[in-house]
Amino acid sequence: MTHSPARTVDVRGPRFAAWVTSAVLAVVLLTASGWLAVAQAAVFAVGAAAGLRYAPYAVLYRTLVAPRLGPAREREPEAPVRFAQLVGLVFAGVGAAGYLLGAPLLGAVATGLALVAALLNAATGFCLGCELYLTVRRARPARTA
Amino acid sequence: MSGTGLLVLAAALVLTAVAAWWLRARDGRVRTAEEETVGGPTAVLEGLGVRPGDADLTVVQFSTAFCGPCRTTRARLQHLQGTRPGLAYVHVDAESHLDAVRELGVRRTPTLFYLDRQGRLLGRSSGAPRPEELTAVVDAHTGAPS
Repeated sequence: MTHSPARTVDVRGPRFAAWVTSAVLAVVLLTASGWLAVAQAAVFAVGAAAGLRYAPYAVLYRTLVAPRLGPAREREPEAPVRFAQLVGLVFAGVGAAGYLLGAPLLGAVATGLALVAALLNAATGFCLGCELYLTVRRARPARTA
Repeated sequence: MSGTGLLVLAAALVLTAVAAWWLRARDGRVRTAEEETVGGPTAVLEGLGVRPGDADLTVVQFSTAFCGPCRTTRARLQHLQGTRPGLAYVHVDAESHLDAVRELGVRRTPTLFYLDRQGRLLGRSSGAPRPEELTAVVDAHTGAPS
C-alpha cells in the first residue's frame, strides 16, 4: 500500500461531509430507496478511489461552506479519512444491494450501521473505520518482514 | 415511508448516542495494571527495543497510518518530552509489529502503555487521551516541569 506524502485537509470538511452523509442515509432508510443508497455508495467510492479533492461532499464544502467560515485553523492528514470512505462504501454497497436485490431488511440494517458510523463521526469526530483498521489487520496472518 | 426503515433509523440514533457516551467515558482513560489479563507486557515491549530503565516514565504509543488521533497524541507527547526530562517516548507502528499487537491485546489506536523505571506497567489507555489528563499522568510520574 502506498501513502501519498502527508496530504492534509481542513478538519471541518470531513465533519461537514459526515453530516451530509448522515442526512442522505436517514432518507435512504425512510424511503427504502436502493438507488439513493447507490448514489451514496458512489460518493464514497469517488472519495476512496480518487481522493478527497474529488469527493463530492468535500467539493461542496470547499465551494459553498468554507468561503463563509474563514481560514482553516486545524488540518488533518487525508489518509485516515480516505480509508473511512472505503469502509463507508462497503456498508452503503451492501445496503444498496440489499434494497435492489429484494432483501430490504439487509438493506436497512447495512444502511443503519453506515448511519451510526457517519453520525458518530459528525457529532464527535470519532472515526470508526479508522479504528477498525487495526482490528482487521490483526485478524490476518502476520507479514514476514 | 418505510416502517422497517423508521425502526432502524431510531435504533441507529440510540446506538450512536450510547456509543458516543461510552467513548466519552472511556477514551484515553488510563487503566491501571491490576486490570490487565495479558502476561508479561513489559517483556513484549522490551522486545520492541523499549528501555524503561532510561527514564522515570516511558510512554509507548501504538499507531497506524489510518488514525487521525494518533498524530495529535504523538505531537502532544513529543511536546511533553521536550519539557519533561524524565519522560521517554517510544512510537511503534502497529502494522509492522502485529505479533506484539496480538500479545499485548492492542485493538484500537492509539493505545498507550506507561512504564516506570523498574519496567513495571503502570497502566495503559486506548483512544486519544485528553491533553490535561495526559499532562497530569506524565507530571505525576516525572515530577513537576522544570
